[in-house]
Amino acid sequence: MKKIVYWVMATVTGVVLLFSYRTSLGADLTATTTPDTVSSPDSLASPDTSTGDGGAPSKSDGGGATSSQDSSVSGFVDGSYTGSAARTRYGDVQVQITVSGGRITDVQVPVYPDANGRDRQINAHAIPQLVAETTEAQNADIQMVSGATYTSSGYTQSLQSALDQARA
Amino acid sequence: MTPPAGAVMVEEVMGTVVSIHAHGHAAADAQQAMAAAIARMRDDERVFSTFRHDSDISRLRDGTRTLQDVDPRILEVRERCLALREQTGGRFDAWWRGWFDPTGLVKGWATERAARAELEPLLDRPGIHAVGINAGGDLQVFTAPGADWVWRVGIADPLHHGTLLATVELVNGAVATSGTAERGAHLIDPAAGQPVASGIGATVVADALTDADAWATVAAIAGITDLSWVPAAPAGVRSGLVSDGTRTRRWAGGVEVTAASSPWLTTSPCSG
Repeated sequence: MKKIVYWVMATVTGVVLLFSYRTSLGADLTATTTPDTVSSPDSLASPDTSTGDGGAPSKSDGGGATSSQDSSVSGFVDGSYTGSAARTRYGDVQVQITVSGGRITDVQVPVYPDANGRDRQINAHAIPQLVAETTEAQNADIQMVSGATYTSSGYTQSLQSALDQARA
Repeated sequence: MTPPAGAVMVEEVMGTVVSIHAHGHAAADAQQAMAAAIARMRDDERVFSTFRHDSDISRLRDGTRTLQDVDPRILEVRERCLALREQTGGRFDAWWRGWFDPTGLVKGWATERAARAELEPLLDRPGIHAVGINAGGDLQVFTAPGADWVWRVGIADPLHHGTLLATVELVNGAVATSGTAERGAHLIDPAAGQPVASGIGATVVADALTDADAWATVAAIAGITDLSWVPAAPAGVRSGLVSDGTRTRRWAGGVEVTAASSPWLTTSPCSG
């Protein structure tokens, strides 16, 4: 099947999102963009600048103990990055990632194909967003839970039961 | 936090529990419609239950009724099952036992049907801007046009009880999850005639719950290694994920979406 893969890579001057789409013919359609939104562009272009932002990379992290961060992703600079749209047989697809603490904490597809006109904008967010860390339902500000079907007795232990009680 | 729902109704139907939520300052007026939705589902259960010997589906199986004299709802669901068997290449097969057993589709179908008939019209009333129904983890939500409201739906982690694997935001649409976590190995792969391996959870986001439910079943049967069915899903099937506890794969708009760190470049801007 068709597959979209995107990589994050670090460079001396900042982070560039590489968006690659392999067509059914096997040709690569590749686009690169500069970082976009959320994180201050200055801190990306110039890592030495101290912004006082706790989320920004600090130089001390790069040196000593380091082990608190996953070394395999230590090159990621905090921020939100948007790739340029790639044209697929199904329509334009675009991805956005969020990096926090050197890790990819969220991946969204702000633009993806959907024929439904009225809900187009919201449906752009209708891809499940992976929760970065173990998240309890009570902390996630959700109204409903989808999960494998529970029995009547299993309901009392379900997340949905907790939500029902909280909102009744 | 989201303000409390104006009204919540919780009822046992079809061997599980149905939760209905309405939001808005006049949501309390939705109680009658909520009860009507529950009543519709109970009547569908009466027709489709394979556990009741006097249900239409049981009589059809036993040969005491034919397609000519069963409830017309049986024919409607049968058409859906025939189409699904075709679309899914046999991964969804209501005839795998040798007789017509649409149990895998009925809950989603009945929930959506009740929701569209009884709940969606509530949005025409002033003071109700959103209404949703969740039948044992498969849900359909509606929002009034122009309302400043987005449903946030949690997707339960199939292996870690009480925690979420992902969240998804919807204005109108459906989310269904199929898997082996809550009730053990109840999923049967029609081609193999055997239960699906445990630990698989598959979630599908679609316009309509009937589709979401059916394709979540397909996704769970196909498993973590096989997304070849994704492009075959109809346009109303938007996105989803499948997880085996160690790995999660996602897809949207007919394509898989994956994130990975660059395999060839590890330069760090921080360490220089």
